[in-house]
Amino acid sequence: MIGLVYMIMKNLTDVEIIESVKKGNQADYSVLIDRYKNKAFTMLKRMLKNEFEAEEVLMDCFLKAYNNLNTFKFESKFSTWFYRIVYNSALTKLSSVKRKIENEMSSVDDLHFLQSSYNADDLVKEDLSIFVKRIVNELPHKNAAVVSMFYLEEMSTEEISEVLQISVSNVKVILHRSRNLLREIIEKRNLFQEVI
Amino acid sequence: MNNINDELLNKYLDDELNQDEKVLVKISIESSLEVKKRYEALLKAHSLLNSIKEESTSIDFTKLVMKKLNNKSVVAQQQKYFLLSILSLLGLIILGITGYVLYQVISSIQPIQSSEVVTTYAKDLGDYVSNLFGQKNLTIFGSVLSFIMLISGYFLYDYQKHSKKNFSH
Repeated sequence: MIGLVYMIMKNLTDVEIIESVKKGNQADYSVLIDRYKNKAFTMLKRMLKNEFEAEEVLMDCFLKAYNNLNTFKFESKFSTWFYRIVYNSALTKLSSVKRKIENEMSSVDDLHFLQSSYNADDLVKEDLSIFVKRIVNELPHKNAAVVSMFYLEEMSTEEISEVLQISVSNVKVILHRSRNLLREIIEKRNLFQEVI
Repeated sequence: MNNINDELLNKYLDDELNQDEKVLVKISIESSLEVKKRYEALLKAHSLLNSIKEESTSIDFTKLVMKKLNNKSVVAQQQKYFLLSILSLLGLIILGITGYVLYQVISSIQPIQSSEVVTTYAKDLGDYVSNLFGQKNLTIFGSVLSFIMLISGYFLYDYQKHSKKNFSH
């Protein structure tokens, strides 16, 4: 019976679930958690470069979102609102750790530090998708967030700009730089054939 | 043809160019091997980024969050009851003081004409209250109330600290 209710809830939209939670059906919130946890976790892991911290921060994000659900006015998508909480929480976490300095140093204008740290031998040792994942995981936090939201969550650049509170053109610049980094690696290592 | 920079190629890939620019980039890709190579690499990068799968949280993640939410609701309810009991206690104390004052006033008054009852009661009540809250008694009342509030405040603070600690684990 509980499984059946969950299956029905699973097909509801975010708005319908939120309305149900607001009416006092706290258990329905688990559907929203299941819907967003993995994507948000991936983004956090890439930003924080630490699995344990990513899960810890994500837990806080879901609690924060629940506590502030009454302030959510349905003016934007729940995902946009939630990812803003996730992104800001990640920034707060980063600001409390020394890593932020390293991250900001590496995010200055170009990403060539990453390009030079990988060579063709790495490819022989591991699968190409793992190789790419490794590069993406090492992107500076803002680039990692943009790439995750654009490719995983399939958010538009407008939505991403709302989450990051930066202009759409800035989002595009970050996205293009991240893509160009990978393009340059593919080009230099002549990986056209290997890429699936 | 070499003025086709990365930005243009990215915009071409995202379909963000106007018709003229699209044609220009398309011609460049078809005519220049260098631009074609760059564009193909960009396409591969795009498809690779698209192919990356999301990662999973621990299996019991949802259960953990829901458990924390439940704990929080219980704690909030307990805090509500605690505050209500403190406020009720203070209310009872004030009610007791008022009752005591009224009792003292009424018991000290001799039977008089009904027309003068209200005036006399009001006068006596005023006198009694001014005596009760005279400089000496006011200090005692103030001290007692401050003490009660300090104790309540301490317990409230301690309780909240305890609840927060529970919530964070």
